Amino acid sequence: MKMTRREFVKNNAIAATATAAGVTIPGIKDVMAASEDKIRWDKAPCRFCGTGCSVLVGTQNDKIVATQGDPDAPVNRGLNCIKGYFLSKIMYGKDRLTKPLLRKTDGVYDKEGEFEEVSWDEAFDIMAVKWKEALKNDMQANKGKAADKITSTVGMFGSGQWTIFEGYAASKLMKAGFRSNHIDPNARHCMASAVGAFIRGFGSDEPMGCYDDLEHADAFVLWGSNMAEMHPILWTRITDTRLTKKDSEVHVLSTFKHRSFDLADNGMVFTPQTDMVILNYIANYIIQNKAYDKSFMDKHVNFKKTTTDIGYGLRPEHELEKKRTGTGGKLSGISFEEYAKSVEEYTLEYASKLSGVPEKNLLRLAKLYAHPTKKITSLWTMGFNQHTRGVWTNGLMYNVHLLTGKISQPGNGPFSLTGQPSACGTAREVGTFSHRLPADYVVKKKAHRDFAEKIWELPEGTIPGKPGYHAVLQNRMLKDSKLNVYWVMCNNNVQAAANLNEETMPGYRNPDNFIVTSDPYPTVTAIASDLILPTSMWTEKEGAYGNAERRTQFWRQQVSAPGESKSDLWQLMEFAKRFKMEEVWPADLLAKSPQYKGKTLFNVLFENGQVNKFKKQTVMDDRGNKYQNDEMEDFGFYPQKGLFEEYRRFQLEGVKKGHEQADFDTYHKVRGLRWPVVDGKETLWRYAEGYDPYVKKGEGFKFYGKKDGRANIITAPYEAAAESPDAEYDLWLSTGRVLEHWHSGSMTRRVPELYRAFPDAVVFMHPEDAKARGLRRGLTAKIISRRGEVECQVETRGRNRPPKGLVFVPWFDAGRLINKVTLDATDPLSKETDYKKCAIKIEKA
Amino acid sequence: MWREPMSKYNICSVLVHAKQDKIDSVKMTLEGQQGVEVHAKSEDGRLIVTIEDEFRKQVGDRIMGFYEIDGVLSASMIYQFSDDEFNEQEIIEIQSTEERMSA
Repeated sequence: MKMTRREFVKNNAIAATATAAGVTIPGIKDVMAASEDKIRWDKAPCRFCGTGCSVLVGTQNDKIVATQGDPDAPVNRGLNCIKGYFLSKIMYGKDRLTKPLLRKTDGVYDKEGEFEEVSWDEAFDIMAVKWKEALKNDMQANKGKAADKITSTVGMFGSGQWTIFEGYAASKLMKAGFRSNHIDPNARHCMASAVGAFIRGFGSDEPMGCYDDLEHADAFVLWGSNMAEMHPILWTRITDTRLTKKDSEVHVLSTFKHRSFDLADNGMVFTPQTDMVILNYIANYIIQNKAYDKSFMDKHVNFKKTTTDIGYGLRPEHELEKKRTGTGGKLSGISFEEYAKSVEEYTLEYASKLSGVPEKNLLRLAKLYAHPTKKITSLWTMGFNQHTRGVWTNGLMYNVHLLTGKISQPGNGPFSLTGQPSACGTAREVGTFSHRLPADYVVKKKAHRDFAEKIWELPEGTIPGKPGYHAVLQNRMLKDSKLNVYWVMCNNNVQAAANLNEETMPGYRNPDNFIVTSDPYPTVTAIASDLILPTSMWTEKEGAYGNAERRTQFWRQQVSAPGESKSDLWQLMEFAKRFKMEEVWPADLLAKSPQYKGKTLFNVLFENGQVNKFKKQTVMDDRGNKYQNDEMEDFGFYPQKGLFEEYRRFQLEGVKKGHEQADFDTYHKVRGLRWPVVDGKETLWRYAEGYDPYVKKGEGFKFYGKKDGRANIITAPYEAAAESPDAEYDLWLSTGRVLEHWHSGSMTRRVPELYRAFPDAVVFMHPEDAKARGLRRGLTAKIISRRGEVECQVETRGRNRPPKGLVFVPWFDAGRLINKVTLDATDPLSKETDYKKCAIKIEKA
Repeated sequence: MWREPMSKYNICSVLVHAKQDKIDSVKMTLEGQQGVEVHAKSEDGRLIVTIEDEFRKQVGDRIMGFYEIDGVLSASMIYQFSDDEFNEQEIIEIQSTEERMSA
């Protein structure tokens, strides 16, 4: 059979779509099955959100020419969301950086100078000078101090978009090499509250369930998540279930109406912060109606209460911090009766009054959770997490599921969704947080540090014991000159962090500091820095991500990076070559490992016989296609494989079980596996007999992250937001995303079609709120808080419909930086910023 | 090796899920758009759609517009191709399964 190439490509497009839809179109599939293709196809996880869709990437002449939803992927089954269409285009933006850029005046570095192109050598030279100066000061300041007392002026801000290998290498470079715990990922802004609640409730991070719940459940409840726009593929799966399963239902809660309400059987708009009230009401309803599972609670649950009135994570001199009476998250044991008493005041009337949700809607929701047999999956993202009581609120959700025993079973469970492709795989599992080590170990426990030092072959006392500065604190410490050299990788934190005017920008431009940003594009952060390093992205390097359902997925390098771009992994490892051990460690520490004297940091961290264990080799798939690996070419060994296998020792040799991943080579063959992977088998539902290999026959459930195998129900009261509307600043501001743009828009705004589809941020507001301020749709409004102001066009129609008293502004727009307005209040437990609530006023511009 | 691509040919296929009672009006709206074809529809509301153009501009804009069509529940991207050195008239020989079986 003969056809033109155009017909052939079109046939492929139709055939793939018919397959994904389960529709047969005669003749089409035949052609697809038998055709020889000039395009080389290989799998890769999507570069955008935390769903972890697998994409087939079609490469020809070192360029990506086609992409296709991966039909063999269990996550997305051949579908991609609309952003998937633009995946190949994010790498080809016109202003892609191809050379390092340094601020200079008259040929030398000057913080006030203009950016000029420099070589990698010159870039690393100036970086090394600045780092060595800081390290020298640190060694002086730390003289004679024990590991749990030492301080550092070296910092790094990383990413839930780093590959697993990059996050691991960065963590090792900082914590073992530079002896600084001041490394934190941007995942602090999105997932820290979820982590905190997992650890408090279950003693182990990440969800118990998986995406299979989306077909098993009878009902779905969205809490502070607009999945229709933010997790479209998972939303498609929920839509399928809702439309095909008899008696299934969808409940949606949010502080404003959005696209997910289109499918809602019970849509509820609540007053900000009163999600806590509603959750406590549901618990009270379950108890009052004896709808709890007594036998489950007797065997598997402990009851606790938490310290209250804990403040808002602001600077200590802030009025709100002076007023608080409690500190921290200490838990104390209580009885079931005491717990029941603690939620007694949350009656239907009270919950309805505070939340503004009609009683009948709340009652319907409570009845659903109390239903003896209905299987319920609760889903949430930033609504719960970006919350000054985020850890508590995540916990209140767990309380409801633990009271009824609706957890760790197909279709039954609380499910914390993630926003970034590897917030789980890299930021959380590898431990790139300021208080963590790989595989759920923490820096403050000596035994954990000892264990890490053993695996990394470091002398005792190398890793500092004090948790480092978290994301928000890093900006404050830059401003206060306590952090002096700072490397930002794979994120855009000047745009992302709250309170840009008062905290972020003064820190970056502080003359005491040297700021380096690695990025593919000249982002707001890059431009605020002193040195910019051009970075390879996505399939320009070999990588691995871990998604929200504990699925680890690998990809091979598909194409070359433009110009002199280098991957973050190359940058981290290559920079380590610039340091002699004598320049990073004090003599007394080095004396404990005399074999390291005269060596470089690269020798000690990456040529340790483990990371460089695997020789240079040809990367090949099972169809015989060959792939490049630029890092392997440069270093002469297979760094991704060596780093991963060293990292796995944390999972296999420690006291903590249940984090095991498969070996490196397996992941290049499969469509991901959900950890723990034991005897080659993945785990779909953790903690439940029959699904989790660590739960023995007859145990039913075992929450083995806790010593006694019991999960915690933790009571927490409703406490007000840090800043609520008053007479002058009379509106709530909530910020977030839109479908077209991913996060700060550094990639998606460079795709012309996406840019055109949603060019500028707008302020979504109620038409009556607009009218009362002399505004209407299309006019420009000035959004003013106590910290700053921005101007945006008013939108009173469209996808988001706020109630009176609240406005929503997306944060993707570098030209309208809404974080000039937001407040840097955080959950004092998780240190995550509340981007969903602050007080503003709006005037006509 | 990197260069700014200037696609000559651009195609994307999309699986559109419409509310069952609105599937016909959704289909009609889609077919009224330039470059858009509907190849099949399933009983439960799924439409197999392609969008083509030669200037790299329309496809993305069209997809973004799908969400605005009344009755569309979701639109998923399935296959996307764009190439600047694409010889679309090149004749290629392919074997169908039938031909292969008899060979």
